[in-house]
Amino acid sequence: MDGDQGGLSGRFAARTLFPGGFWLLAFFAAPLGLVIAVSFGTTDELGGAIYGWYPENYSRVFDPLFAPVLLRSVGYALATVVLCLLLGYPVAYYIARFGGRRKQALIALVVLPFFVNYLIRTYAWVAILSDEGVINGFLGEPVRFLNTPWAVIGGLVYGYLAFMILPVYAALDRMDPALIEAGKDLYGTELSTFIHVTWPTTFQGVLAGCVLVFLPAVGDFVSAQLLGGPGTYMVGNLIQQQFFGAEDWPFGSALTTVMMLFLLVFMVFYLRSAAREART
Amino acid sequence: MTRDPWKAPLRRRELLQGGAGLALGLGLAGCGVGNQEQASKEQTERVVEAKVDGDLVYFNWSEYLEPKLIKAFEKQYGVKVRESNFDSMQGMMAKLRSGNRYDLIFPSSEWVDRLRKANQLLRIDLDQLPNADTVYDYFATPWYDPQADHTVPYAMYATGIIYRADKIGDMSGSWNDMVNPTADGRAFLLDDFQEVIGAGNLVSGAELNSVDEGDVEKAKEWALSVKPKLRGFSTDDVQNMVSGNAWIHHGWNGDVVNIRNQVDKPENYSFQKCSEGIPLGTDCFAIPANAEHPGTALTFINFILDPENASKNIEYMGYPMPYTGPDETFAGLVKDDPAINVTVEDLESGQQFENLGAEGRRLWDRTWTEIKAG
Amino acid sequence: MKALRLYTAAFFAFMFAPLVVVVLFSFNDERSVQKFGGFSLRWYEAFVESESLRGSLVASLEIAFVTMLVSTVLGTLLAFGLVRARTRFASSANVLMLIPLVTPEIVAGVSALLLFTQLGMRLSLLTIMIAHITFSISYVTVVVRARLSTLNQEVEDAALDLGATRWQTFRLVVLPALWPAVLAAGLLVFALSFDDFVLSFFTTGESPQPLPVRIWSAIRFGVTPTINAIGSLMLLISLAAVALALVVQRERA
Repeated sequence: MDGDQGGLSGRFAARTLFPGGFWLLAFFAAPLGLVIAVSFGTTDELGGAIYGWYPENYSRVFDPLFAPVLLRSVGYALATVVLCLLLGYPVAYYIARFGGRRKQALIALVVLPFFVNYLIRTYAWVAILSDEGVINGFLGEPVRFLNTPWAVIGGLVYGYLAFMILPVYAALDRMDPALIEAGKDLYGTELSTFIHVTWPTTFQGVLAGCVLVFLPAVGDFVSAQLLGGPGTYMVGNLIQQQFFGAEDWPFGSALTTVMMLFLLVFMVFYLRSAAREART
Repeated sequence: MTRDPWKAPLRRRELLQGGAGLALGLGLAGCGVGNQEQASKEQTERVVEAKVDGDLVYFNWSEYLEPKLIKAFEKQYGVKVRESNFDSMQGMMAKLRSGNRYDLIFPSSEWVDRLRKANQLLRIDLDQLPNADTVYDYFATPWYDPQADHTVPYAMYATGIIYRADKIGDMSGSWNDMVNPTADGRAFLLDDFQEVIGAGNLVSGAELNSVDEGDVEKAKEWALSVKPKLRGFSTDDVQNMVSGNAWIHHGWNGDVVNIRNQVDKPENYSFQKCSEGIPLGTDCFAIPANAEHPGTALTFINFILDPENASKNIEYMGYPMPYTGPDETFAGLVKDDPAINVTVEDLESGQQFENLGAEGRRLWDRTWTEIKAG
Repeated sequence: MKALRLYTAAFFAFMFAPLVVVVLFSFNDERSVQKFGGFSLRWYEAFVESESLRGSLVASLEIAFVTMLVSTVLGTLLAFGLVRARTRFASSANVLMLIPLVTPEIVAGVSALLLFTQLGMRLSLLTIMIAHITFSISYVTVVVRARLSTLNQEVEDAALDLGATRWQTFRLVVLPALWPAVLAAGLLVFALSFDDFVLSFFTTGESPQPLPVRIWSAIRFGVTPTINAIGSLMLLISLAAVALALVVQRERA
C-alpha cells in the first residue's frame, strides 16, 4: 500500500475495528487471562476450581515424571513437520510447476480431504490399520500398526498436511517462472536449480508451513487417543485428562499456560515473518 | 508510508494493549466471578412427586440398560429420553461440574456418598415408588446413604479380569494375570483411577482404599510395571473383548454376560475373581439437585423397578439387580458360572470402594496422572 | 517429470483412501467397520430414525450457520479496519487477529471452558457458537483482507463526492465488491465450524451435542457403521460448502 488516502479510511475505518476487535478481546484474550488465574488455584471438595496462590501447580509441570510427555509431544510434532515437508513439498511443486490450467482445481482437490471431520479421517485409519483391518487383510501375519508411536505420527501428518502444502504452494505459485528458466541455464540440472534457486525463494513459505503444522501438532490429543497406546501419551492428552478425567483444572491450566508460553516463541517468529511478507 | 509493526515503541504499546485483555480476564477471576453455588439443604430435601414433568435427560454408562426398555418407557409415558454416556465416574463428575443438568445419573456408591454430603442429590421419597418394595433390606440402611433417601440401588458389581478362555489356558487366579505372556499386547486395564489404584493396593496386600502414601506408591509401581504389556486403558471392556482386540481385560462381572450376548462362541469368554481381593460396589439411581425434570426421573426409576422390566434388564446387562423376584432371572444366568455372581453377603463381607475424602482423593488423582503419563 | 507425476498420483490416492473407506463401510451390511459384508442402507436408516442423531445434525447445522453469519460480519469489518485504518490500535488488532490462527485448539477449548464455567454460564449451543465465532473471525479477516487490497478506491471517492455518507458508501460500493470473498469466507467458516471437534468437545452441554462430539463418544464406546454413515453425510455437507465457495470465487474473480 503506498499510502494514498483515497476511499473510505481514517476514523470510519478505525471504527470498523471495534466490533471484531472487542469480540476477540472479550472472548479470546480475556479467557487466556482466566486460564492463568485458575492455574494458580486449587480444587475444592467436589473438584471444582477455586482461586488462590498455589504456584506449586507450576513446579509440578516441571516434575521429571512429566518430562517424557512434554518431550514426546515436541518430538512427535517435529517428526510430523519433517514428514509433512517431505511428503507435501513435491506435490505442491508438481502442481505449481506442471499443473497448468488445472492448477487451481488440483490444489483444491488436495485440500478437499481436510474438510472432512478430523475425527472421521483419523478413525478411518483405525479401520484400515487395525489387526482385522484392510491392510492386515492382505498380509499373512497380522502386523501391529495401531497403538504405536508411528501410528500417532502418521495420524498427525495426515491431519495437518494441508497446513504445509498451502503456504508452500502459495510461495511456489508466486515465483516467477523465468527465475527457474534462468536457473536451469545457470545450473544445468533440475536438482541443482531446485537447490540453488527454488528452495531459497520458497523458504518463507516453507517456514510458514512448518510453524502452522508444528503449533497445533504439539497440542493435539485426538491422534494419540485414537491411534496410540499407553506409551504415546502427549501433553494434549495430559491436559484433556485434567479437565475430563482427574479433577485438577488448576494443574490443567498450568500445563496449558506453559505450553502456550513455549509455543509463543514460535508464534512471534511466525507473526514477524508474516508481517515481513505483507510488506514485500 | 508503511509502519513497521515491530518498531520498539509501538511494540510496548501493543504489549500493553494485549496485556489489557489478559488483565480483564484476571480481573474477572479476581472478582470471584463464578464457582457454582452449592445447593442448599432445603433445595435437595423437597419432596418431588413421581409424575412426568418433561423429557428425561439421562446420563449413564453405555450398554448398561436395555435400550428396549427406554423405548418402552418413551412409548408408555409419551416423553423422550435424551441419553448421553460417560466412560468413568470422573468423566461423569466433570460433566456435572461443568454445569450440565441431568435428571438421572448412575453413580457408584462411594461417589453417592460424596455427592450426597455435598448436597448435590435430590431427595428420593420411596413412598413415591410403589415398585421399590422389592428392594433388598440391606439397602434400607446402606453405608453411603444411611437413610436410603437419596438413591435407589441399581446393580451390584465386582471387578476382576475378563479373559478369553480359548486363548489363554494358564490363568493363575491373581491380579498379576494382567501380564500373562500369551496376552501380551492384548491386555487392557480399566481407564478408571479407583479401579487401577485399588487393584494395585490389593496386589501388594494393602487395603483396597488405602490412602497411605507408601501403599499408593506401590500400587503405582505395579500399574507402571503392567503398562508396557498393555494395549491400552479402556472402560469399554465389552467392545474390546467382542472385537478381539482384547484377550485379557480388567473389567466388571456383568459385562461378561453382555459380551456373551454379542459373540458367536459365548463359552470362550470367562470372568476371574482374583485371589488378592475383589473390589465390590453398588451402582445407584440418583437425581442431581439441579435436575429439571425430577418427576420423570422418579417415574423412570419406578418403571425399571417393575419386576418384569428388571428381569429383562438383567438379561441384557448381566448384573445382579438387588430386587426380590428379578434376582431369580439373574440366578438363572449364573447357575453355571458362579464367578459372575455378587450377593448381598459378598457386599457385607467384601471390600467396597469408599469415599476417600479430599486429601486421599487428591493423592489418588495425582498418582493416576502419574500412571497415565509415566 | 515422470517421477513427480507418479508421486502426486500416489499422494492423491493416499489422501483419499480413508475417505473411500469411510463411505464404503457406511453401506456395509454387517455390523463391522472393518469387514465388508454386503451392500445395505441400514446405517443410514438408523441415522434417520434416531431422533437424537437428527437433533445433533440440526445442532451442528445451526451452530455452523450462526457462526458463519456473525463471524463474517465481524471479520469483514475487522478486515476493512486493518487495511484502511491508520490508528495504533490497528496494528495490535492485527496481532490479536493472527494469534487464534496459530493457537492449538486445546488451548482455545480450555480457555473457552473456563470462561463459561467461571462466569456461571450453562454450557449449551450458545456457548459452542461463541467459541466457534471467536476462532472463525480470523479466517474471515484473512480471506477478505486479500481481496480488499485489490479494491479500486476511486469508486469510493466518487460516491463520497456525490454526497453518499460513509456508511452508504461502505454498503453500496465496498461490500458488493467484496462480496465473493465474503461469501467464500463464510462458506469456509461454515465448513470449519461444522467439522470442528476440539472446541465443541470442551464447550458442549448435555443435549443436543454437535455431531463430531457424538462421533467421539461413539468411537469411545462402541462403533457401528452408523458412524460411517454420519461421516459420509458430514463429508457431503462440508464438501458442498467448500465447492460452493470455490465456484463463487472463480465466477466473480
